Amino acid sequence: MVSRRGFLKAGGLALLGVGLLGGIPGFLAEAAASEKIASPYKKKKTLVCIFQRGAMDGLMAVIPFTDDYLKAARPNLFISAAKSGNGNPLIDLDGRFGLHPAMKAFEPMFREKRLGIVHGIGSPNNTRSHFDAQDYMESGTPFNKGTASGWLNRAVGLLGHDALTPFTAVSLTSAMPRSFYGDNPSVAMSNLQDFTIQMRGNPTGANMAAKSFEDLYDQTASGLLKQTGKESFEAMKMLQKTDIKNYSPANGAVYPNSALGNSLKQIAQLIKMDVGLEVAFAESNGWDTHFNQGAENGIFANNVADLSNSIMALWTDLGAYQDDVTVMTMTEFGRTVHQNGTGGTDHGRASCNFILGNDVGGGLVYGDVKPLAIENLEDGRDLAVTTDFRSVFSSVADKHLGINNDHVLFPDWNGERVNVMRG
Amino acid sequence: MKKAVKYWCVTGLLLCMFTVFTAFLPGYPNPGKLKFPYRKAGLTPQQAAAHLLSRFTYGATPGEVDEVVKEGPEKWFAQQLEAQMPDDSLNELLNKYDALKLSNTQIVAQFPKNAQVLRIAVKDGVVNRDSVRTNPKAYRAQLQNYMQQNGLKPEQELLQQFINQKILRAAYSNNQLQEVMTSFWFNHFNVSIVKNDCAQFIPDYERDVIRPNALGKFNDLLLATAKSPAMLYYLDNFNSSGNNAEKPQAQKQQIKSDTGRMATMPKFKAKKALGLNENYAREVMELHTLGVDGGYTQQDVTQAAKVLTGWTVYPMDNNGEAGQKLMNRVSADKLQNSGFVHEGDFLFNPNRHDTGEKTVLGHHFAAGGGYEEGVQLLNMLAHQQATAKFISRKIAVRFVNDTPPQTLIDKMARTFMNEDGDIKKVLITMVNSPEFWSAAAVREKTKSPFELAIGAIRALHADVNQPNQVFNWVNKMGEKMYYYQAPTGFPDKGQYWINTGALLNRMNFGLALASGRIPGVKIDLAALNNHHEPESAQAALDTYSKLIMPGRPLDATIKRLTPMLNDPKLMDKVDLASAKTPAATAAPANVNNQLMDGQAGIKNKQKNNFMAQQTIAGNNSMLAQVVGVIIGSPEYQRR
Repeated sequence: MVSRRGFLKAGGLALLGVGLLGGIPGFLAEAAASEKIASPYKKKKTLVCIFQRGAMDGLMAVIPFTDDYLKAARPNLFISAAKSGNGNPLIDLDGRFGLHPAMKAFEPMFREKRLGIVHGIGSPNNTRSHFDAQDYMESGTPFNKGTASGWLNRAVGLLGHDALTPFTAVSLTSAMPRSFYGDNPSVAMSNLQDFTIQMRGNPTGANMAAKSFEDLYDQTASGLLKQTGKESFEAMKMLQKTDIKNYSPANGAVYPNSALGNSLKQIAQLIKMDVGLEVAFAESNGWDTHFNQGAENGIFANNVADLSNSIMALWTDLGAYQDDVTVMTMTEFGRTVHQNGTGGTDHGRASCNFILGNDVGGGLVYGDVKPLAIENLEDGRDLAVTTDFRSVFSSVADKHLGINNDHVLFPDWNGERVNVMRG
Repeated sequence: MKKAVKYWCVTGLLLCMFTVFTAFLPGYPNPGKLKFPYRKAGLTPQQAAAHLLSRFTYGATPGEVDEVVKEGPEKWFAQQLEAQMPDDSLNELLNKYDALKLSNTQIVAQFPKNAQVLRIAVKDGVVNRDSVRTNPKAYRAQLQNYMQQNGLKPEQELLQQFINQKILRAAYSNNQLQEVMTSFWFNHFNVSIVKNDCAQFIPDYERDVIRPNALGKFNDLLLATAKSPAMLYYLDNFNSSGNNAEKPQAQKQQIKSDTGRMATMPKFKAKKALGLNENYAREVMELHTLGVDGGYTQQDVTQAAKVLTGWTVYPMDNNGEAGQKLMNRVSADKLQNSGFVHEGDFLFNPNRHDTGEKTVLGHHFAAGGGYEEGVQLLNMLAHQQATAKFISRKIAVRFVNDTPPQTLIDKMARTFMNEDGDIKKVLITMVNSPEFWSAAAVREKTKSPFELAIGAIRALHADVNQPNQVFNWVNKMGEKMYYYQAPTGFPDKGQYWINTGALLNRMNFGLALASGRIPGVKIDLAALNNHHEPESAQAALDTYSKLIMPGRPLDATIKRLTPMLNDPKLMDKVDLASAKTPAATAAPANVNNQLMDGQAGIKNKQKNNFMAQQTIAGNNSMLAQVVGVIIGSPEYQRR
């Protein structure tokens, strides 16, 4: 609630922070440090959340390949561990689960125990409506539509300090996602380059307008407009210090030329600029595979390739920042165990998710996936939800961001956490 | 008692007596008579008119403040309350949108959802299943072809038309108050395009449910929303069933409808979700009527949900929906006799209704109440004291300021209670109150992105040919209209609208609009000042500030912007840079449409010429810059 004003309080510091970026002498920085004031722009832990909209088929992403029921239920969709005619075999993770072959980029991360997977994850509310399930997952209250705020916005409020920069919570989307609804400051933008005063083809005019605006907002009597104006121009200047447009990823990272790849690239830029990013959000679309989802190749394979390659590009690009970043995927539900009549799968219950980071307890497939015999299926057809998404999200939020007030983060939830993080 | 009063009021004589009587009640002025106490608040007639227009229109058009002063603000307001102003030119603009008058049934038939079309097309064997994967281009062509042949259109087109009409109405309707109230109630009873199930019913929702009731009785509005397909789908009541619901029948139906397909595709249907769904019952109390602190319990929610079981949507999909066929076979009489209620798109299905007894907020509903008990429930909710306060407060937040005084809310709530939730009378009570005209109200609201965009369009007399471009800007500034996902609707407070990214985009919007760089939005700055070219930059600033922000204190803004204008070198640079603007980056916004139509292929040279012409014609870049900065200025973000 008060965090918007936090930036106000830190206004002077913020300027100093910008100054530091611009090369203010070290003694000044030391002076600031000796005052025991945490610089708002020091390295921050960042949680990057990726929402896979449309409901990912968890049983095709991470396949319980020894399960004969699955094989029988999916004559055209089952990918086996053996090399078949037209595609690569799955990647055997632990003798029971196999990664879709198009996600080979993830394999080393899993082997190095940086990538954890939770299978059978989902919501206790058994709705099979995309809208409802996304809404519930993003608000974090699976039985209450009226929750005004999103769980990531509440997370910002629980960071233990005021939001010190305009970039504390950034969603790389054109509209504010449900996860970010709420009173804590957060920004949605699809393109960092938009974060400036623009007059197409007329930079002189734009500069002049920017000066006029800055002056007008600085002098206005409205506290809200004055303060936000100040933040806006500071944020703009922070971004202008880097050549955003001609960014070249580090360590040979190659981002897929996709919406997700582009979003994650910009998130990497923000992280590496030390602008105080702590909660980042991006979306991946196209998971609603009712028709011809394919197996080793096809729609689904392209989707998981994009997902894993985008995430791995981010990871590679981050280099020394890897220790500060955890990436977590989520999707509203899974898909039917049986393939449908059009070579796809319909809306189901549980799916799986991926958590990547150096403090992740990786190399494991967490959760409880029973043999897919009909008596073990939810409503006789779907992979049962055995892990409440909140028990994983809360664990990640705590171990990575130090957020431990689960009653605020997930009101109405009294479940146990599943610790997928180290320590 | 209340009924008796209402009855006697029918005769004019007694009405007068009633008026005289109530006039003596302390704190209860006659709620029908308009008398604006703005002078006591220290406002000039011009300031008062500007304030009034800032609250009940999407922004004053040039000269409108003076017109309202001349006409008298009370008279103007009374006329707006009637919402009977002719709207010929708007209607002409809307005529080109052919989907706006369609019923829900027609919409379902003509604008099927993408997945629906694909399914039917695959079923009909028109679209090759394999091409979906192997040849997406071919598949899209096949699908498009199929849709054309069957007279089907993509849902996106429907939604586009719908959004466009809202932008045009807000910009050009003469019944501005009705349009503002329509937005207010839509947001109060929010439904969202994001929810696929309800998206196609939203045009009807605004047109037939919200707008006609926007200035009526709250109870009617509540009931209309409760029975609308958009709300029934959005908050899931459409499939909420009592525990004594039609289970055996449902199973039978399922078997029947599946047998045809069984041979070709094994279908593993989810258990038909028959059961109680509390979503609507909860939100109707928390968000639509009582408010979160309105004194209801979880028990009330569950009981109310049971009262509303069986409230659903009449089947409209002719594409093989079993329900529709069943309904068509049964005569209306027979339906009625077995307890069904069919009104327009609404259906009460007694087979799904919980027939037990219920108690909500201490009100007892005897067993076997049927449809009527739902009507009673909503009626009761609409008339609660908590509702009167909750709604009055929300209206005051919209029209007065973000934290309206309790004294005002109490006055409005009293009118709400005494006048059977008459929205007009609640508004009258508000504008008759000194609180409405106080310094704490005037210019204290922050414009939402939509209000900013439409306000600027109105202030500049802009000609909007591509409303979707306006929508894109409004979205960029943080208000994706009709897409707000949560049933709370957009928060109505300055802090929500003003954040860093959004604020820069507001400034950019001002610059883009004023410099004619929003495609399909034409402006003529010179015409705004009757083609008198300002003698100097300073004169331009003075003149246009007053034109765009009439009735406002402008000294601060003008003083701040003056230095910029007095740097002649800078101005020259701007003009020069602007003239050099490569056409590829300058959207052909100011370009006369006819000119563009025939010459779409012609590139840089001619457009550059046009830009130069435009400078001569009076939309010169210096002026554009001044106007752009005014629209992006902090003063203009307020209303």
